[in-house]
Amino acid sequence: MNVIETSHLKKYYGEVKAVDDISFSVGEGEFFAFLGVNGAGKSTTISVLCGREPKTAGYITIGGREIDAETKRSLGVVFQESVLDRSLTVKKNLACRAALYGIYGKAFAERLKELSAQFSLDEILSRPVGKLSGGQRRRVDIARAVLHSPRILILDEPTTGLDPQTRRDVWDAVHSLRKETGTTVFLTTHYMEEAADADHVVIIDGGKIKADDSPLALKDRYAFDVITLYHVREAELENRSIPFERAGTGLRIPIRNSMAATEMICAFPELFKDYEVTKGGMDDVFLAVTGKRGEV
Amino acid sequence: MREFSALVRRHCSVFFKDKSVFFPSLITPLILLFLFIAFLGNVYRDSIRSVAAGFEISDGLVESIAGGWLVSSLVAVCAVTVAFTANTVMVQDKVSGARNDFLVSPVSGRLLALSYFVSTYLVTAFMCFVALGAGFIYLGIAGWHLSAADVFLTVLDLLLMILFGTAFSFAVCSFLHSQGGIAAVQATVSSAYGFLCGAYMPLSNLAEWLKNLLMFLPGTYGTGLTHLHLMGGAMEAMRGEGIPAEVVQGMREGFDCTLTFFGSAVPVWVCYTVLAAAGAALLALCVLLYLRPLRKSLDKIDPIMYDRGRRNR
Repeated sequence: MNVIETSHLKKYYGEVKAVDDISFSVGEGEFFAFLGVNGAGKSTTISVLCGREPKTAGYITIGGREIDAETKRSLGVVFQESVLDRSLTVKKNLACRAALYGIYGKAFAERLKELSAQFSLDEILSRPVGKLSGGQRRRVDIARAVLHSPRILILDEPTTGLDPQTRRDVWDAVHSLRKETGTTVFLTTHYMEEAADADHVVIIDGGKIKADDSPLALKDRYAFDVITLYHVREAELENRSIPFERAGTGLRIPIRNSMAATEMICAFPELFKDYEVTKGGMDDVFLAVTGKRGEV
Repeated sequence: MREFSALVRRHCSVFFKDKSVFFPSLITPLILLFLFIAFLGNVYRDSIRSVAAGFEISDGLVESIAGGWLVSSLVAVCAVTVAFTANTVMVQDKVSGARNDFLVSPVSGRLLALSYFVSTYLVTAFMCFVALGAGFIYLGIAGWHLSAADVFLTVLDLLLMILFGTAFSFAVCSFLHSQGGIAAVQATVSSAYGFLCGAYMPLSNLAEWLKNLLMFLPGTYGTGLTHLHLMGGAMEAMRGEGIPAEVVQGMREGFDCTLTFFGSAVPVWVCYTVLAAAGAALLALCVLLYLRPLRKSLDKIDPIMYDRGRRNR
């Protein structure tokens, strides 16, 4: 069952076509990645999805309903930058946001207890948000987004500008949430490696969808595997008419897929004394689809 | 209702917790009061004596009238300038993205706007009444000639002026989207408003055309009301010291306790009507601002992002 459906969605700002006739769907419980460079139209789509911006044309439904105040209860959003009040404590921030969803008093105390356990917030509840480390702040952001137990968690470039450890902390928190609650995750990112972990990837560029499939299917369709041979002379490949390129101490041979690699190994076993086969990545897919180099 | 009160509490907390905004806002009126007394006190004392030239006024009464002028000027200015400072929270929320966080919740944009309005009113009222309290202490020391009715009416004047100041600042700040923008507006308002509303200098000292021009501004009527209610008692007491009624009337006009517009005295009820109507009109303007498509007016497109987007295309 699809929890988000968009059809011919358009969002124009005068002559700027920020989102130009896109259609996609997100399944219940899916980890969905919306991949694109800055300015591709990701955040605009999120704004329309959250009801913050009116659409120019097209349809968008969440849980089968058009966007309204009720569908907002189905959404939790983690913004690119932390939007909590730095001068207030974690608890006060969460209490204020919870009240916006009608959660207060005993219900809030119980929910806070659950979230504290889930995201290890106990020690930082009484600390001002501005005094937290990057990783702690991100955990609080996620806790705020899921305060009201939304069906869909939207992560709008949640790891941009974070150090590797903090990025790992963020993903640990998200994966643990998915595991425990089965929440649908809608991720917008320009990091290829993050999109590679998704169940379903949509690549957007210039406001238009360029590709829509699982990472594996996209790699099969757009990316090449690579065999790297070591201790082989260039002439040996040239004599056999095998195209290659130099890569450090080795020679790289692009091949269609693993089956083609096996065929080549069987055909020229004398060349394969020291070698490795590398699968094509999402960055290759992105480059092939958009003609732009993504970030890894 | 709980959502609304949570938002109002949050906006107030953010303001009071931000020491770089709260303390200057609190201390500025008190510093202003001190500066008024230290630097302008003698100017007004001399001015009072010159208006009553030929008649003997006790020093206590002169102190009381001068004090009334200074305190009334102070609270009249604070009602508007502090409101602009209190609205910093609304503008900061646009800059930080906190506003977007509220808008993705089921809370409507209009309820959010109302919460900013009410919190600005409450914060401004708190600061202004602290300033008025300090002013009352000063008047108690300088010479207390206020009746209970004067105190009540001063409080009423202040509440109305705060409504006017809140609506005025809210309407202006609705169009601001940066810290620099609000800082520039605050600096402009702080430096100009005191002159424009007749707080720093009695209107009667100005050229007739300028005086009439300033009488088109609603804030002037509020300042006139506070002058009347904080100085009126002391001026009445002048009669008890044998000062003729026409001299007292001259004093009232000289110190804007009685405003004149194109030569005619403006009744007190007209002052209240103008002030309340201006507050209501600005409030209506704020409502209109929020009735039109909210996001279009208040969540401006990030130009950098879209320039980048265009380049990529």
